[in-house]
Amino acid sequence: MKKPCIIYFSAIAIVAVFAIRAQASGAPPLSLQILSSKTLSGIAGDFVTVEGQITNTGSKPLGDVTTYLSLMDNQNKLPVDLEDWSVEKGLYIGTIDAGQTLPLNWKIHFVKAGTYSLIIIAEAAGNDLPQASAITQFNVSPKRNLNPGQVLPVALGTPILLIFILFLLAYRRKAEE
Amino acid sequence: MFTHIWKKEIQGELYTWKSMLWLVIASLLFSFTSYLLLTNAELSLLDQTELMWLLGKIVIGVALLIVTIDASSILNTEFEKETAESLFLAPISISDFILGKLFASLALWAAIFIVSIPYILVTSTGSHLALAFLGYVALLGTLGVLGLIFLIFGISLLYRSSKNTITTALIILLAFATPALFASNLKNDIVSQAFSAANPIDNIFSSLDNVLVDYKTSLLENWQFLLPLVLFCLITFAFLFWSARRFEKKGVIKND
Repeated sequence: MKKPCIIYFSAIAIVAVFAIRAQASGAPPLSLQILSSKTLSGIAGDFVTVEGQITNTGSKPLGDVTTYLSLMDNQNKLPVDLEDWSVEKGLYIGTIDAGQTLPLNWKIHFVKAGTYSLIIIAEAAGNDLPQASAITQFNVSPKRNLNPGQVLPVALGTPILLIFILFLLAYRRKAEE
Repeated sequence: MFTHIWKKEIQGELYTWKSMLWLVIASLLFSFTSYLLLTNAELSLLDQTELMWLLGKIVIGVALLIVTIDASSILNTEFEKETAESLFLAPISISDFILGKLFASLALWAAIFIVSIPYILVTSTGSHLALAFLGYVALLGTLGVLGLIFLIFGISLLYRSSKNTITTALIILLAFATPALFASNLKNDIVSQAFSAANPIDNIFSSLDNVLVDYKTSLLENWQFLLPLVLFCLITFAFLFWSARRFEKKGVIKND
């Protein structure tokens, strides 16, 4: 009778330890909501703002909360380096009190034409799993401008003017001879 | 008296179509660069100030290269064609000789700068930095070109050979230009930082960056870049002065 009791209590203890560990290492009780449109469209070079909010849905304050962006190129099926897309790749929030909601705003620069998926990810100290937002789709059209800032007249006109001066010099020199 | 030599050189350098062709090539290079920067799908998305900075670097870079090649041969042709002797028999002092050639080489820089003005203005359209951009390209380019000419003239008076002077001058230009093109994260150690602070081309590019990207347009905000450039000019002038004195003592014929 003694032996089955020891086995029974040991099993309960092991399950309890795993349960406590699983709770500590799971995703943090955070809710990430995207307030801006699910699909944002524009021309390469445009800026758009992705608006969202983060809420601590738990009963205790959460420390060391960090949010960051993840962008994927849907056509090439590759993650995109955010280098030119966003000045702020991540936002360190710190502590969020229980039930507190904070706004998240990201200014995004459409760099290259294509379709992209953006998600916001949040991490908190003591949690192994991150929390992710819903996907925002970007539809970026190519930029077609052959004469920005009137560069074409200058780019073509200056060498032509110089070639004209060259011919004028050659003609004058020949006339002098 | 130096104006006589200067005018003669200008006529030789800018009067014939052959001697002007490089200016057309330089303008084609500026055309290609500015058009590419403003129309290329990805390059045109860079900040306008970064486009201006890139164009400024190309204008000054092209000018330094052309002036280096010209200055390397402008004195030496007189020695190689053996016209230097007759020049010095005329009442022309060594300082008149050098000054005339110096102004002729500076005229090339002035010609490149004048050609670059439309490109500078068109890339600055819509920004408030057009005048600062023009002014700093003129100032930084003049200081860089002047120091380089002093250095090359000093070498020319020692070598009296176009081939050797051009080779040495181009190597020096490369030695200055290559580290200046390194990314800033490659200049974290003390040696790189010290060389970067003394390197004239690095100072030119950093000052342009300071003005165009960081909007620090006053001379006081750029003194840390201008001072090394002025020092570079003074040191190279001292070298030219020493080289000219040595040349005067040894004479035209004695060439070891």
